Amino acid sequence: MLGSLPMADDHDNHRHQDPPSDPALRVKALETLLAQRGYIDPKRIDDLVDHFQNRVGPMNGARVIARAWTDKDYLARLRANATAAIAELGYSGGQGEHMITVENGPKVHNLVVCTLCSCYPVPVLGLPPVWYKSHAYRSRAVREPRAVLEEFGVHLGEDVEVRVWDSTSELRYLVVPERPKGTERMNEVELAAIVTRDCMIGTALVKAPK
Amino acid sequence: MNGAHDMGGMHGFGAVIREENEPVFHAEWEGRVVGIRSELQRFGRNIDRFRSMIEQVRADRYLSIPYYERWLDVTLRDCVERGFITAGERRQIETVGSDEDVEALSSRVKNINVPQTVPASTRGYVRAIITSPAFSIGEVVKARNTHSATHTRLPRYVRGRTGVVLADHGGFVFPDTNARGEGEQPKRLYTVRFTARELWGEDTNARDTVLLDLWEPYLEREA
Repeated sequence: MLGSLPMADDHDNHRHQDPPSDPALRVKALETLLAQRGYIDPKRIDDLVDHFQNRVGPMNGARVIARAWTDKDYLARLRANATAAIAELGYSGGQGEHMITVENGPKVHNLVVCTLCSCYPVPVLGLPPVWYKSHAYRSRAVREPRAVLEEFGVHLGEDVEVRVWDSTSELRYLVVPERPKGTERMNEVELAAIVTRDCMIGTALVKAPK
Repeated sequence: MNGAHDMGGMHGFGAVIREENEPVFHAEWEGRVVGIRSELQRFGRNIDRFRSMIEQVRADRYLSIPYYERWLDVTLRDCVERGFITAGERRQIETVGSDEDVEALSSRVKNINVPQTVPASTRGYVRAIITSPAFSIGEVVKARNTHSATHTRLPRYVRGRTGVVLADHGGFVFPDTNARGEGEQPKRLYTVRFTARELWGEDTNARDTVLLDLWEPYLEREA
Protein backbone atom coordinates (compact mmCIF):
# COMPACT_ATOMS: atom_id res chain seq x y z
CA MET A 1 0.00 0.00 0.00
CA LEU A 2 2.95 2.31 0.47
CA GLY A 3 3.91 2.62 -3.16
CA SER A 4 6.93 4.00 -4.89
CA LEU A 5 7.73 7.65 -4.77
CA PRO A 6 8.26 10.29 -7.38
CA MET A 7 11.67 11.91 -7.15
CA ALA A 8 10.40 15.08 -5.57
CA ASP A 9 7.10 16.46 -4.52
CA ASP A 10 5.78 17.70 -7.88
CA HIS A 11 3.00 19.45 -6.06
CA ASP A 12 5.50 21.97 -4.71
CA ASN A 13 6.62 22.91 -8.19
CA HIS A 14 3.25 24.18 -9.29
CA ARG A 15 1.99 25.24 -5.92
CA HIS A 16 -0.24 28.27 -5.97
CA GLN A 17 1.40 31.62 -5.78
CA ASP A 18 -0.28 32.23 -2.43
CA PRO A 19 1.95 31.27 0.48
CA PRO A 20 0.55 28.41 2.55
CA SER A 21 -1.62 29.56 5.39
CA ASP A 22 -0.88 29.51 9.10
CA PRO A 23 0.16 25.96 10.09
CA ALA A 24 -2.38 25.99 12.92
CA LEU A 25 -5.21 26.41 10.42
CA ARG A 26 -3.80 23.83 8.03
CA VAL A 27 -3.51 21.29 10.85
CA LYS A 28 -7.02 22.05 12.05
CA ALA A 29 -8.39 21.56 8.54
CA LEU A 30 -6.51 18.28 8.10
CA GLU A 31 -7.54 16.95 11.51
CA THR A 32 -11.17 17.88 10.85
CA LEU A 33 -11.25 16.06 7.51
CA LEU A 34 -9.49 12.97 8.78
CA ALA A 35 -11.74 12.79 11.84
CA GLN A 36 -14.89 13.20 9.72
CA ARG A 37 -13.81 10.27 7.60
CA GLY A 38 -12.96 8.13 10.62
CA TYR A 39 -9.23 7.89 10.06
CA ILE A 40 -8.46 9.49 13.38
CA ASP A 41 -10.25 10.18 16.63
CA PRO A 42 -9.41 13.61 18.06
CA LYS A 43 -9.63 12.17 21.60
CA ARG A 44 -6.91 9.72 20.70
CA ILE A 45 -4.80 12.62 19.38
CA ASP A 46 -5.34 14.35 22.76
CA ASP A 47 -3.98 11.22 24.46
CA LEU A 48 -0.94 11.13 22.19
CA VAL A 49 -0.19 14.79 22.89
CA ASP A 50 -0.49 14.07 26.60
CA HIS A 51 1.81 11.07 26.19
CA PHE A 52 4.55 13.14 24.55
CA GLN A 53 4.11 16.06 26.93
CA ASN A 54 3.84 14.19 30.20
CA ARG A 55 4.62 10.50 30.04
CA VAL A 56 7.88 10.30 28.13
CA GLY A 57 10.84 12.49 28.86
CA PRO A 58 14.34 12.60 30.32
CA MET A 59 13.01 11.45 33.70
CA ASN A 60 12.78 7.98 32.14
CA GLY A 61 16.37 7.94 30.94
CA ALA A 62 17.51 9.37 34.28
CA ARG A 63 16.09 6.30 36.05
CA VAL A 64 18.06 4.06 33.71
CA ILE A 65 21.28 5.93 34.46
CA ALA A 66 20.73 6.01 38.22
CA ARG A 67 20.06 2.27 38.21
CA ALA A 68 23.19 1.63 36.13
CA TRP A 69 25.23 3.65 38.64
CA THR A 70 23.92 1.83 41.68
CA ASP A 71 23.35 -1.75 40.50
CA LYS A 72 26.30 -3.59 38.92
CA ASP A 73 24.11 -6.40 37.66
CA TYR A 74 21.84 -3.92 35.95
CA LEU A 75 24.83 -2.20 34.34
CA ALA A 76 25.99 -5.57 33.03
CA ARG A 77 22.55 -6.22 31.54
CA LEU A 78 22.50 -2.73 30.04
CA ARG A 79 25.85 -3.39 28.38
CA ALA A 80 24.75 -6.78 27.09
CA ASN A 81 21.31 -5.73 25.79
CA ALA A 82 20.32 -2.15 26.46
CA THR A 83 16.89 -2.49 24.83
CA ALA A 84 15.94 -5.31 27.23
CA ALA A 85 17.48 -3.65 30.29
CA ILE A 86 15.64 -0.39 29.56
CA ALA A 87 12.40 -2.31 29.02
CA GLU A 88 12.81 -3.76 32.54
CA LEU A 89 12.06 -0.25 33.81
CA GLY A 90 9.03 -0.01 31.54
CA TYR A 91 10.45 2.02 28.66
CA SER A 92 10.11 0.72 25.12
CA GLY A 93 8.49 1.49 21.80
CA GLY A 94 8.96 3.64 18.74
CA GLN A 95 12.41 5.21 18.32
CA GLY A 96 13.69 3.00 21.11
CA GLU A 97 13.45 -0.42 19.47
CA HIS A 98 17.22 -0.91 19.30
CA MET A 99 18.97 0.85 22.16
CA ILE A 100 22.71 1.07 22.72
CA THR A 101 24.35 2.75 25.69
CA VAL A 102 27.73 4.45 25.38
CA GLU A 103 29.64 5.18 28.57
CA ASN A 104 31.62 8.26 29.41
CA GLY A 105 34.81 7.90 31.42
CA PRO A 106 37.81 9.96 32.46
CA LYS A 107 39.33 9.69 28.96
CA VAL A 108 36.21 9.24 26.79
CA HIS A 109 33.33 11.59 26.11
CA ASN A 110 30.38 10.54 23.94
CA LEU A 111 28.12 12.90 22.02
CA VAL A 112 25.00 11.91 20.06
CA VAL A 113 23.66 13.63 16.95
CA CYS A 114 21.57 12.82 13.89
CA THR A 115 22.99 14.80 10.99
CA LEU A 116 20.40 13.57 8.47
CA CYS A 117 17.19 14.19 10.41
CA SER A 118 16.68 14.13 14.17
CA CYS A 119 16.75 10.52 15.35
CA TYR A 120 16.43 10.46 19.12
CA PRO A 121 15.70 7.78 21.76
CA VAL A 122 12.13 8.85 22.47
CA PRO A 123 11.08 6.26 25.09
CA VAL A 124 13.92 7.35 27.39
CA LEU A 125 14.28 11.05 26.49
CA GLY A 126 10.93 12.08 25.02
CA LEU A 127 10.79 14.26 21.92
CA PRO A 128 13.99 16.14 21.09
CA PRO A 129 14.51 19.80 21.99
CA VAL A 130 14.67 22.34 19.16
CA TRP A 131 18.45 22.71 19.42
CA TYR A 132 19.00 18.98 18.82
CA LYS A 133 17.00 19.31 15.57
CA SER A 134 18.64 22.61 14.60
CA HIS A 135 20.72 22.96 11.46
CA ALA A 136 23.54 24.36 13.59
CA TYR A 137 23.80 21.30 15.86
CA ARG A 138 23.33 18.78 13.05
CA SER A 139 26.01 20.41 10.89
CA ARG A 140 28.56 21.17 13.60
CA ALA A 141 28.42 18.28 16.09
CA VAL A 142 30.36 15.95 13.77
CA ARG A 143 32.87 18.53 12.48
CA GLU A 144 33.66 20.54 15.60
CA PRO A 145 32.23 18.72 18.61
CA ARG A 146 34.65 20.40 21.00
CA ALA A 147 33.54 23.87 19.93
CA VAL A 148 29.89 22.86 20.32
CA LEU A 149 30.61 21.37 23.75
CA GLU A 150 32.37 24.58 24.82
CA GLU A 151 29.21 26.51 23.95
CA PHE A 152 27.29 24.11 26.18
CA GLY A 153 29.79 24.78 28.96
CA VAL A 154 31.57 21.43 28.69
CA HIS A 155 35.34 21.86 28.69
CA LEU A 156 37.27 18.72 27.81
CA GLY A 157 41.00 18.20 28.00
CA GLU A 158 43.04 17.48 24.89
CA ASP A 159 43.70 14.00 26.33
CA VAL A 160 40.00 13.09 26.29
CA GLU A 161 38.73 11.23 23.21
CA VAL A 162 35.52 12.69 21.86
CA ARG A 163 33.31 10.07 20.18
CA VAL A 164 30.48 11.49 18.12
CA TRP A 165 27.69 9.02 17.31
CA ASP A 166 25.79 9.99 14.15
CA SER A 167 22.45 8.16 14.40
CA THR A 168 22.22 7.00 10.78
CA SER A 169 20.30 3.76 11.47
CA GLU A 170 17.50 2.62 13.78
CA LEU A 171 20.00 2.10 16.59
CA ARG A 172 19.44 4.75 19.25
CA TYR A 173 22.26 5.86 21.49
CA LEU A 174 21.97 6.84 25.14
CA VAL A 175 25.01 8.31 26.88
CA VAL A 176 25.76 6.94 30.34
CA PRO A 177 27.41 9.94 31.98
CA GLU A 178 30.06 9.68 34.65
CA ARG A 179 28.77 9.62 38.20
CA PRO A 180 30.21 12.72 39.80
CA LYS A 181 32.32 12.67 42.93
CA GLY A 182 30.46 13.60 46.07
CA THR A 183 27.38 11.52 45.24
CA GLU A 184 28.48 8.35 47.03
CA ARG A 185 25.79 8.67 49.71
CA MET A 186 22.96 9.45 47.33
CA ASN A 187 20.35 6.79 46.61
CA GLU A 188 18.94 5.86 43.22
CA VAL A 189 16.03 8.29 43.37
CA GLU A 190 18.27 11.18 44.41
CA LEU A 191 20.72 10.32 41.67
CA ALA A 192 18.01 10.21 39.01
CA ALA A 193 17.11 13.77 39.97
CA ILE A 194 20.53 15.12 38.97
CA VAL A 195 20.73 13.38 35.59
CA THR A 196 19.55 15.85 32.98
CA ARG A 197 18.54 15.35 29.36
CA ASP A 198 21.71 16.97 28.04
CA CYS A 199 23.90 14.62 30.13
CA MET A 200 22.32 11.70 28.27
CA ILE A 201 22.91 13.30 24.84
CA GLY A 202 26.46 14.19 25.82
CA THR A 203 26.18 17.99 25.82
CA ALA A 204 26.47 18.25 29.62
CA LEU A 205 28.20 16.56 32.53
CA VAL A 206 26.33 15.53 35.65
CA LYS A 207 26.94 17.90 38.54
CA ALA A 208 26.81 16.84 42.16
CA PRO A 209 24.40 18.96 44.20
CA LYS A 210 26.14 21.65 46.28
CA MET B 1 19.75 12.21 -2.26
CA ASN B 2 22.22 15.06 -1.90
CA GLY B 3 19.61 17.20 -0.19
CA ALA B 4 19.57 20.10 2.20
CA HIS B 5 18.93 17.59 4.99
CA ASP B 6 22.43 16.10 4.68
CA MET B 7 24.07 18.72 6.89
CA GLY B 8 27.00 17.01 8.56
CA GLY B 9 30.06 19.25 8.30
CA MET B 10 28.35 22.26 6.72
CA HIS B 11 29.29 25.79 7.74
CA GLY B 12 26.97 28.74 7.96
CA PHE B 13 24.21 27.79 10.38
CA GLY B 14 25.55 29.80 13.29
CA ALA B 15 25.61 28.94 16.97
CA VAL B 16 23.49 26.28 18.63
CA ILE B 17 20.69 28.20 20.32
CA ARG B 18 19.23 26.65 23.44
CA GLU B 19 16.02 27.51 25.24
CA GLU B 20 15.73 27.22 29.00
CA ASN B 21 12.76 25.21 30.26
CA GLU B 22 11.75 24.43 26.71
CA PRO B 23 8.20 23.13 26.26
CA VAL B 24 7.70 19.85 24.38
CA PHE B 25 5.55 21.70 21.84
CA HIS B 26 5.81 25.41 21.09
CA ALA B 27 2.30 25.65 19.71
CA GLU B 28 -0.75 23.44 19.99
CA TRP B 29 -0.64 22.54 16.29
CA GLU B 30 2.78 20.93 16.67
CA GLY B 31 1.36 18.38 19.10
CA ARG B 32 -1.60 17.74 16.80
CA VAL B 33 0.74 17.05 13.85
CA VAL B 34 2.79 14.60 15.89
CA GLY B 35 -0.41 12.92 17.12
CA ILE B 36 -2.00 12.73 13.66
CA ARG B 37 1.11 11.26 12.11
CA SER B 38 1.43 8.78 14.92
CA GLU B 39 -2.21 7.73 14.61
CA LEU B 40 -2.09 7.36 10.80
CA GLN B 41 0.63 4.76 11.28
CA ARG B 42 -2.22 2.42 12.22
CA PHE B 43 -2.83 2.11 8.48
CA GLY B 44 0.74 1.10 7.73
CA ARG B 45 4.08 2.54 8.63
CA ASN B 46 7.28 3.02 6.73
CA ILE B 47 9.69 5.34 8.50
CA ASP B 48 12.11 5.29 5.57
CA ARG B 49 9.42 6.53 3.21
CA PHE B 50 8.56 9.28 5.71
CA ARG B 51 12.18 10.41 5.98
CA SER B 52 12.50 10.30 2.21
CA MET B 53 9.44 12.52 1.83
CA ILE B 54 10.85 14.98 4.37
CA GLU B 55 14.03 15.14 2.28
CA GLN B 56 11.94 15.82 -0.81
CA VAL B 57 10.50 19.00 0.63
CA ARG B 58 12.09 21.54 -1.71
CA ALA B 59 15.51 22.49 -0.36
CA ASP B 60 14.72 26.20 -0.01
CA ARG B 61 11.52 25.43 1.86
CA TYR B 62 13.16 22.67 3.95
CA LEU B 63 15.66 25.18 5.28
CA SER B 64 13.18 27.95 5.95
CA ILE B 65 10.28 26.31 7.80
CA PRO B 66 10.17 24.92 11.35
CA TYR B 67 10.71 21.24 11.96
CA TYR B 68 7.10 20.28 12.58
CA GLU B 69 5.91 22.31 9.61
CA ARG B 70 7.95 19.91 7.45
CA TRP B 71 6.02 17.11 9.11
CA LEU B 72 2.79 18.89 8.22
CA ASP B 73 3.82 19.33 4.57
CA VAL B 74 4.71 15.66 4.32
CA THR B 75 1.65 14.42 6.20
CA LEU B 76 -0.56 16.32 3.72
CA ARG B 77 1.29 14.79 0.77
CA ASP B 78 1.17 11.35 2.39
CA CYS B 79 -2.58 11.62 3.00
CA VAL B 80 -3.11 12.29 -0.72
CA GLU B 81 -0.82 9.46 -1.84
CA ARG B 82 -2.57 7.02 0.48
CA GLY B 83 -6.01 8.21 -0.58
CA PHE B 84 -7.10 9.69 2.75
CA ILE B 85 -7.75 13.09 1.16
CA THR B 86 -7.87 14.24 -2.44
CA ALA B 87 -5.32 16.44 -4.17
CA GLY B 88 -8.00 19.13 -4.37
CA GLU B 89 -8.57 18.93 -0.62
CA ARG B 90 -4.84 19.25 -0.04
CA ARG B 91 -4.79 22.47 -2.05
CA GLN B 92 -7.75 23.78 -0.07
CA ILE B 93 -6.18 22.82 3.25
CA GLU B 94 -2.98 24.59 2.28
CA THR B 95 -4.80 27.85 1.67
CA VAL B 96 -7.41 27.94 4.43
CA GLY B 97 -7.42 31.49 5.74
CA SER B 98 -9.85 31.28 8.64
CA ASP B 99 -11.90 28.98 10.85
CA GLU B 100 -14.82 29.61 8.47
CA ASP B 101 -12.76 28.18 5.61
CA VAL B 102 -12.12 25.07 7.70
CA GLU B 103 -15.85 24.69 8.36
CA ALA B 104 -16.68 25.20 4.70
CA LEU B 105 -14.14 22.57 3.68
CA SER B 106 -15.46 20.17 6.30
CA SER B 107 -19.08 20.62 5.16
CA ARG B 108 -18.14 19.43 1.66
CA VAL B 109 -16.46 16.22 2.82
CA LYS B 110 -17.81 13.07 1.29
CA ASN B 111 -17.20 9.90 3.23
CA ILE B 112 -14.96 7.31 1.71
CA ASN B 113 -14.08 3.84 2.87
CA VAL B 114 -11.59 3.79 5.70
CA PRO B 115 -8.87 1.22 5.03
CA GLN B 116 -8.08 -1.67 7.34
CA THR B 117 -5.61 -0.97 10.07
CA VAL B 118 -2.35 -2.91 10.13
CA PRO B 119 -1.26 -4.50 13.42
CA ALA B 120 1.74 -2.71 14.90
CA SER B 121 4.99 -4.58 14.47
CA THR B 122 6.84 -5.38 17.65
CA ARG B 123 10.01 -6.61 16.03
CA GLY B 124 11.54 -3.26 15.16
CA TYR B 125 13.90 -3.23 12.22
CA VAL B 126 16.05 -6.31 12.81
CA ARG B 127 15.65 -8.94 10.10
CA ALA B 128 17.21 -12.36 9.69
CA ILE B 129 19.69 -12.60 6.84
CA ILE B 130 21.49 -15.71 5.66
CA THR B 131 24.49 -14.16 3.94
CA SER B 132 27.72 -14.16 5.91
CA PRO B 133 29.30 -10.80 6.72
CA ALA B 134 31.38 -9.23 3.95
CA PHE B 135 33.41 -7.35 6.54
CA SER B 136 34.78 -8.36 9.91
CA ILE B 137 35.20 -6.40 13.11
CA GLY B 138 38.46 -4.48 13.03
CA GLU B 139 38.62 -4.48 9.23
CA VAL B 140 39.48 -1.28 7.36
CA VAL B 141 36.63 -0.30 5.03
CA LYS B 142 35.82 2.60 2.76
CA ALA B 143 32.44 4.27 2.49
CA ARG B 144 31.46 4.18 -1.17
CA ASN B 145 31.51 7.37 -3.16
CA THR B 146 27.93 7.09 -4.42
CA HIS B 147 25.34 9.78 -4.96
CA SER B 148 21.94 8.17 -4.79
CA ALA B 149 19.23 10.47 -6.14
CA THR B 150 16.77 8.81 -3.74
CA HIS B 151 16.80 8.15 0.00
CA THR B 152 20.01 6.89 1.58
CA ARG B 153 21.48 6.97 5.08
CA LEU B 154 25.05 7.36 3.86
CA PRO B 155 25.90 11.00 4.58
CA ARG B 156 28.04 12.92 2.12
CA TYR B 157 30.71 13.68 4.68
CA VAL B 158 31.87 10.05 4.96
CA ARG B 159 31.68 9.06 1.28
CA GLY B 160 35.08 7.99 0.00
CA ARG B 161 36.47 8.03 3.56
CA THR B 162 38.17 5.14 5.29
CA GLY B 163 37.21 3.77 8.68
CA VAL B 164 37.32 0.66 10.82
CA VAL B 165 34.44 -1.73 11.53
CA LEU B 166 33.62 -1.51 15.22
CA ALA B 167 30.49 -3.70 15.43
CA ASP B 168 28.34 -6.03 13.32
CA HIS B 169 24.65 -5.72 14.20
CA GLY B 170 23.30 -8.35 11.81
CA GLY B 171 20.46 -7.78 9.35
CA PHE B 172 18.39 -4.60 9.40
CA VAL B 173 15.73 -3.23 7.04
CA PHE B 174 17.59 -1.46 4.22
CA PRO B 175 16.31 2.13 4.09
CA ASP B 176 17.31 2.80 0.48
CA THR B 177 14.95 0.20 -0.96
CA ASN B 178 12.28 0.42 1.72
CA ALA B 179 11.90 4.17 1.14
CA ARG B 180 11.29 3.59 -2.58
CA GLY B 181 8.61 0.98 -1.99
CA GLU B 182 10.95 -1.78 -3.19
CA GLY B 183 10.75 -3.77 0.02
CA GLU B 184 12.83 -4.17 3.14
CA GLN B 185 15.65 -6.16 1.44
CA PRO B 186 17.51 -6.48 4.76
CA LYS B 187 21.24 -5.90 4.71
CA ARG B 188 23.90 -6.26 7.36
CA LEU B 189 24.45 -3.18 9.50
CA TYR B 190 27.85 -2.21 10.88
CA THR B 191 29.10 0.54 13.14
CA VAL B 192 32.11 2.12 11.44
CA ARG B 193 34.55 4.38 13.25
CA PHE B 194 36.19 7.23 11.34
CA THR B 195 38.88 9.43 12.80
CA ALA B 196 38.10 13.13 12.89
CA ARG B 197 41.35 13.65 10.94
CA GLU B 198 40.21 11.35 8.13
CA LEU B 199 36.98 13.31 7.82
CA TRP B 200 38.02 16.87 8.57
CA GLY B 201 41.77 17.10 8.17
CA GLU B 202 44.68 17.86 10.40
CA ASP B 203 43.08 20.72 12.29
CA THR B 204 41.30 18.33 14.66
CA ASN B 205 42.23 16.38 17.78
CA ALA B 206 44.00 13.16 16.77
CA ARG B 207 42.00 11.22 19.38
CA ASP B 208 38.55 12.23 18.22
CA THR B 209 36.32 9.89 16.27
CA VAL B 210 32.96 9.90 14.52
CA LEU B 211 30.91 6.70 14.46
CA LEU B 212 28.18 5.88 11.98
CA ASP B 213 25.90 2.89 11.44
CA LEU B 214 26.33 1.89 7.82
CA TRP B 215 24.71 -0.91 5.81
CA GLU B 216 26.89 -3.33 3.88
CA PRO B 217 26.08 -1.90 0.42
CA TYR B 218 27.46 1.46 1.59
CA LEU B 219 30.90 -0.05 2.16
CA GLU B 220 33.73 -1.49 0.14
CA ARG B 221 37.07 -3.03 0.91
CA GLU B 222 39.90 -0.53 0.95
CA ALA B 223 41.68 -0.99 -2.41
